[in-house]
Amino acid sequence: MSAAPTATGGDGPVPPPRTSAPADETGPPTASPNVVDDVDWPAGVPVAEPAEPVLADVQPGRVRWDPAERRARASQSFWTAVVGVPAIFSVLRLGVEAGGELQTTLLLVANVGPVNLLAGFLTTAARLLSTGLVAVFALGAVLAVSADRLPAGSRRRPLFARWADITPAWVVLASFLLALITWPLLYLPLLLPAFVAAFQLRPARLHDQVIPRLLMLAALLAGYAWLLLPTLREASKQGEWLVLALIVVPPVLALFVAGPLPGMVIRPLASLTEMAVLATLVWAAVPVISTPVLPLTVTTVGPESGPTEDVRGHVVTTDDVNMVILQERGGVRYVPVELVRAQVLCPSEEELPRHQLRVHDFHVEDSLLEGMGRRVRPVHRIDAACRAPA
Amino acid sequence: MNVHSSQSRLRSVATTLAVALTLTLAAAAGCDSRQQPDLPSVQEKLRESHIYGLSKLRIGVATNEPLMGELRNGQHVGFDVEIGRYVAASLGFEGDQRLEFVSVATEDRIPALQGGTVDLVVSSFSMTEERKKLVSFAGPYFVTTQEVMVAARLKDRIRTIEDLRDPAYRVCTSGGSTTEAELEKHQVKTFVVKDVGDCVEGIRKGRYDAVSSDESILAGFLASFPKDFEIVDMPFGTSELLGIGVPIGDPALRDLVAFFLQKSYEQGRDGDASPWQTAYNRTLGPWLKAEKRQPQPLEVPKLVDFDDKAPSK
Repeated sequence: MSAAPTATGGDGPVPPPRTSAPADETGPPTASPNVVDDVDWPAGVPVAEPAEPVLADVQPGRVRWDPAERRARASQSFWTAVVGVPAIFSVLRLGVEAGGELQTTLLLVANVGPVNLLAGFLTTAARLLSTGLVAVFALGAVLAVSADRLPAGSRRRPLFARWADITPAWVVLASFLLALITWPLLYLPLLLPAFVAAFQLRPARLHDQVIPRLLMLAALLAGYAWLLLPTLREASKQGEWLVLALIVVPPVLALFVAGPLPGMVIRPLASLTEMAVLATLVWAAVPVISTPVLPLTVTTVGPESGPTEDVRGHVVTTDDVNMVILQERGGVRYVPVELVRAQVLCPSEEELPRHQLRVHDFHVEDSLLEGMGRRVRPVHRIDAACRAPA
Repeated sequence: MNVHSSQSRLRSVATTLAVALTLTLAAAAGCDSRQQPDLPSVQEKLRESHIYGLSKLRIGVATNEPLMGELRNGQHVGFDVEIGRYVAASLGFEGDQRLEFVSVATEDRIPALQGGTVDLVVSSFSMTEERKKLVSFAGPYFVTTQEVMVAARLKDRIRTIEDLRDPAYRVCTSGGSTTEAELEKHQVKTFVVKDVGDCVEGIRKGRYDAVSSDESILAGFLASFPKDFEIVDMPFGTSELLGIGVPIGDPALRDLVAFFLQKSYEQGRDGDASPWQTAYNRTLGPWLKAEKRQPQPLEVPKLVDFDDKAPSK
């Protein structure tokens, strides 16, 4: 045993070092691993739980969390993402809006409030956000019901399936509602198969018997056709084949989209869609980052009776002395307040419609929200100054 | 059992197809949402036209056609002037700082456009095949007929085209006008002067007996001198389509002007107060015998504009 003399010296028995097991005659039996191995513990003696996660013996290198802990961590990362992602995006947008100039970015940071920034971000990004969520939940649900058909040997469920599993139904429903009010009307039919897939609504859910079920389906489709027939006619007249397909095909797909997939397509579909969703989000995030934070205006500047000049840009701030305008073609302009003659709000060219189609007087490229807004303020006059070159 | 399994297989194949098609459609929709509009936009046309970036738009107008284009106290007023103002504002030129009215005589309308002294001509400019070889027209924005106005003392003696042919009566008209050609066709000998205003002045001084021109122009002079003149309804047959003259080398500008006339036409047709109707009510309206409405412009291009998404009702 460890009987090496220590600095204390003496001829008494030397206490053993802390790390090693104490001598059998001094320490309690539990402290000695040798004894532990030999002793039979009486029933009812609790086994101490380690404060740190157990380093699993079965799979070295993997940490096994207890489910409550895991949920807490997931909720933590969720809220971090909810707050962090918009914040990071907003700051990135400010940099882009400033034209990449550090000083201009700082000027914007100093003058654009965080709430405005976040609200502005959500206004432009709600569509992208809901698209991402809808895609993940719909694909996740389809993959989840198919997961038991996975070929033997691959135990791990696809990522989207796991996400769909842990997401509460109300979150899924909320993302669909967000999509319903923010997507352009033209793309809303796509929400139909996505919704059916996300909640796995088979036609059998409508009614137990076949005949009433078919009748109900026919009634639903007839209602859909009644709603969209004038638009379909106009689209075929204009030769808009994609629009025709986008309106006609999705309800048919919705009939078949629920249900398990064959085992062999699950894995490729899972990896393909994961990459596709990621790529789409990145691709669609670029316009969101480059969408301006501040509204576009044209300010007419000039002395009382003299030549005037139109400054096209975004008003950053106005104080008693200056109006600070971030010009559309770049650069910041400080205009003395007394020189400002007029100011008008202008639309940007990205807002020009691509289709000349309407659904019951709602433009197909408007979302439900925008369409309703146009009904509240129907007249929209473009000011002459907005036509002038930048 | 076997049937059940094959049904289930069919079902899963259908699901696979449905999922794949939905994804394809979604991808197509995504690509579509990033495309440019097929139709040209108003802004694109503006960039193509020669007026893009000009500090001032110059519009040629008449100065001595009451109600249509007149210089009163140094201000250009009249129906043509109002229409010119509307078109200019739609093109991005609003206010005196950005818009200049240039006095153009009837015979100088085509040379002014050709020579670039003006960007547009809004001056009772009849759209004819002959003129279309030299300038472009957007419109019509007004349809009028040819009429004859006689001195009040002669109102019982000059009633028909036949009477006009009588060499005893001296008929006056403006040079380079469609009226001149029309009278020639009816073998009426005319005294050709620079502007209709000169004819009116001449009649008042006893140099001429009758003047022939567009109904709208004559109504203006009748409004100025209601006691001296009388308009005689004569069956000249042809109607005059007044258009806005545009340089022939600038089709984009022609398209834009036609587009904005159409916009006003659509507003009026839907029962709203259109810019045309406002201009008409302020100038010609009270003086014309019959109520007129804005005619539908011809050859209007389809253009995309910012207000396309606005509800139509």
